[in-house]
Amino acid sequence: MTETVVKVSNVWKVFGERSAEAIKAIMDEGIGKPQVLERYGCVVGVQDATFEVPRGEIFCIMGLSGSGKSTLVRHINRLIEPTSGTIELLGRDVSKLNQKDLRAMRANHIGMVFQHMALMPHRSVRDNVAYPLEIRGVNKSKRWAVSDHALQLVDLVGYEDRLPKELSGGMQQRVGIARALASDPEVLLMDEPFSALDPLIRMQLQDQFKALVAELKKTTLFITHDLDEAIRIGHRIAIMKDGIIVQIGTPEDIVMNPSDDYVREFVQGISKLKLVKAHSILEPLESYEGSLDGAPRADEGADLDQLINHAVGTDLPVVITSDGRDIGVVTKPRLLRGIQGGKE
Amino acid sequence: MAENQESAATVVAASDIEVDHAGLDASINEFAGPGGDYYSKNFQRIHSSTGFLPNTFNWVAAILGPVWAAARGIWGMFWGFLILEMIAWVQIGRGWWGDPGASFFERAEKQRERAAEFLQRAEAARLEGADPARFEKLAENINNAAEKSEALGAAASSEAFAILLGGILTLLAFKAVQGFYANSIYEKQYSSWRVDHKSVESGRKLKNIILSVVLVILIAPLTVYKFTVDSPLEVLNAFPERQVSAIFLDSDKATLFTELAGWLEQKIDAAAIAGAGGFDSITAGVRSVLDALSLALIGTPWPVVMLVICVVAWRAAGPRVAIFTAASLAYIALLGYWEISMETVALVGAAVFICVVIGIPLGIWFGKSRRAYNAAEPVLDLMQTLPAFVYLIPIIAFFGTGNPPGILATIIFGMPPVIRLTSLGVRGVPEPIKEAAVAFGASRFQLLRDVEVPLALPSIMTGVNQTILMCLSMVVIISLIGGGGLGKVILEALQYAAKGPGLLGGFAILFVAMVIDRIVQGAFRREDQK
Ligand SMILES: Nc1ncnc2c1ncn2[C@@H]1O[C@H](COP(=O)(O)OP(=O)(O)OP(=O)(O)O)[C@@H](O)[C@H]1O
Ligand SMILES: [Mg+2]
Repeated sequence: MTETVVKVSNVWKVFGERSAEAIKAIMDEGIGKPQVLERYGCVVGVQDATFEVPRGEIFCIMGLSGSGKSTLVRHINRLIEPTSGTIELLGRDVSKLNQKDLRAMRANHIGMVFQHMALMPHRSVRDNVAYPLEIRGVNKSKRWAVSDHALQLVDLVGYEDRLPKELSGGMQQRVGIARALASDPEVLLMDEPFSALDPLIRMQLQDQFKALVAELKKTTLFITHDLDEAIRIGHRIAIMKDGIIVQIGTPEDIVMNPSDDYVREFVQGISKLKLVKAHSILEPLESYEGSLDGAPRADEGADLDQLINHAVGTDLPVVITSDGRDIGVVTKPRLLRGIQGGKE
Repeated sequence: MAENQESAATVVAASDIEVDHAGLDASINEFAGPGGDYYSKNFQRIHSSTGFLPNTFNWVAAILGPVWAAARGIWGMFWGFLILEMIAWVQIGRGWWGDPGASFFERAEKQRERAAEFLQRAEAARLEGADPARFEKLAENINNAAEKSEALGAAASSEAFAILLGGILTLLAFKAVQGFYANSIYEKQYSSWRVDHKSVESGRKLKNIILSVVLVILIAPLTVYKFTVDSPLEVLNAFPERQVSAIFLDSDKATLFTELAGWLEQKIDAAAIAGAGGFDSITAGVRSVLDALSLALIGTPWPVVMLVICVVAWRAAGPRVAIFTAASLAYIALLGYWEISMETVALVGAAVFICVVIGIPLGIWFGKSRRAYNAAEPVLDLMQTLPAFVYLIPIIAFFGTGNPPGILATIIFGMPPVIRLTSLGVRGVPEPIKEAAVAFGASRFQLLRDVEVPLALPSIMTGVNQTILMCLSMVVIISLIGGGGLGKVILEALQYAAKGPGLLGGFAILFVAMVIDRIVQGAFRREDQK
């Protein structure tokens, strides 16, 4: 049983003076974000969010602009106080921490990457990266060594002594990532960390990041508005709309069983080749009539890409095995439907 | 969101987009209240015009003028056109019943009377057998003068008609302008109301109408009367303060002024005695700063001080400023102003030092607390706008005369910029950067030290620079309350109207000020470039 690191229960955040009335109206009448704005002058940031993130998981939060992703994540380290609900981090209720404990929690356990970089313009890149350690009271030589290492991770060797303004937007964002990694926190909060990067370095960082997190067992809340990215690195994905989490699930879940039209629209353009696994499209062995002599075999965990490789060499269906036992077959029509997105 | 998707679904060329008249109508109706239909029609005409010239005419606004503006809550227009219409009305009044020829006709009448008198005397002389020619001549002359006066009077009277006509035309012109621009101005008000329903007035309010009518009744007749009648009531020429005082005090001699002045004098004396300990310790504190600086500047041998100043100028602001500094110092030394100049520098330096030491923390506090800033803002305004002469008096009362009170006066004038610009700088630190520091666990002090102060530094330095300049400008004024230095030289020259010494001393002050300014500016510029 893995330990739960972040636990968010029934968190609401409504900006504005009449938030209590607004929440009541939402609960009683089920009115949406636009009506709340019109009627109460309040902006719904987050509406009744509940989820848990176990240790080592990359939990992606995705949604369109203004859907409340940043607002939700800011609650985790209490940059924002919730209107109601509780947030537990490493087993402690963050809204009950006193200032000192809260600062200690932020300094020792949480790293954050900001959507708008938020680097200190008067400090060198190295000193920016070292800042979390400085707050923690680490001595200078150690600080510098650590930050140089972190900068190496994000491929910024040679820029240590530059000022942030001398770097491009993407490079600045990498400095932000290095800064979050430098303090070696257990929990990473990343607010669209890769969105200003070019596709190549982005892909590279995504892979690196995934490996890093897996190795260091860091728990991550990762905001993105790019479903491809969420699928690539997320163990689970939460999809937000107008402050509401409309669906939480594994990438495969989300792609194969979108909970509503909003999610379906997102998912449409996604390539299913690496996502959809054989077990979700197979036909049970019992119902298949026909010869399977010489048919190729694949494990139930094989993705569509692999299945296609098996299928191209033969007219027969692919036999799917589980623990060495045949459990079903994937026929050509099923394979093609699977590529389309699992429609029957 | 839903809208986005809709517009994404049906792509329409910009030229084909239909204006949503109904929605706009409803909103304008809500804004305008009574007469909503009229305004929605006219606003839409304004919206659909592209030229500069107004394409609507509001008869109600033209006829009612300022009262319409007030009823619709456009107070700027109310006051502006009230004043303009008053000008026109005064002209009309002058032309209508003000009879500008009256004084001439009066004079002509008198002259005719005198002429008649002389003719009588001429008659009398003739009866006596004397020569009447002298009197006849006089009478004729006076008659001529009377004719001239009458002609002038007639001219003035006919001018009255021109004034009347001019007044009417001006009024019509103003009315026309109001008529043409009323809807455009009201439309501007509507646009800002859309952004801010709360603080922008909308609708037609009875309260406003009453207020504006009362204002017009109070202002217009009196003003027109005062300007048009030849000898208006005495009361309107000057405020009847003696009579009013008499009502309050029922005594002939004492006025409100004398009473209040006497009372204040007593209170100030009492306060000065009561707080003597506090005031003395402030004076002592200021004096110790001044003494330290004086010792450094005057106690140190002059060649050393000169050399240090030149080197500082060189390092801070480059060779050109250094050469200028050297030349200025030579001027000061050769004319025998050295010691007294150093006293001025010490005075300014002490004032600046105290301003910075107190002003920067205050500025930081005001930058972080909106409420503290709002409370302090009027005080800061007062410190900067009060003419120095006004607070010299209480300073003398509480702190006596001499250099320390002079420094205090300088501080009052010089401190606001550093406070203001520090708080401006602190408030201007971008929120995300502060948030990042907080997210990494920075305490309030760490936030201040690592983020707020460094990012506010350019602004703070501008503030310090301005404070220095303000303090320099007080150099002469403080000599009025016994401050020393070059200001005293100027003051003495002024008292004896000694032109030569005054001019030489003035140049000495100018050079001191320029040297300080150049060095500081140069230093800050270097800092900026870093
Ligand atoms: N301080 C605030 N005061 C009032 N409303 C706010 C505040 N911060 C955020 N909001 C509102 O909350 C909603 C969610 O904002 P949020 O920044 O969380 O969006 P997001 O999902 O991060 O969008 P993006 O992808 O553009 O960053 C928005 O409607 C925004 O207007
Ligand atoms: Mg965001």
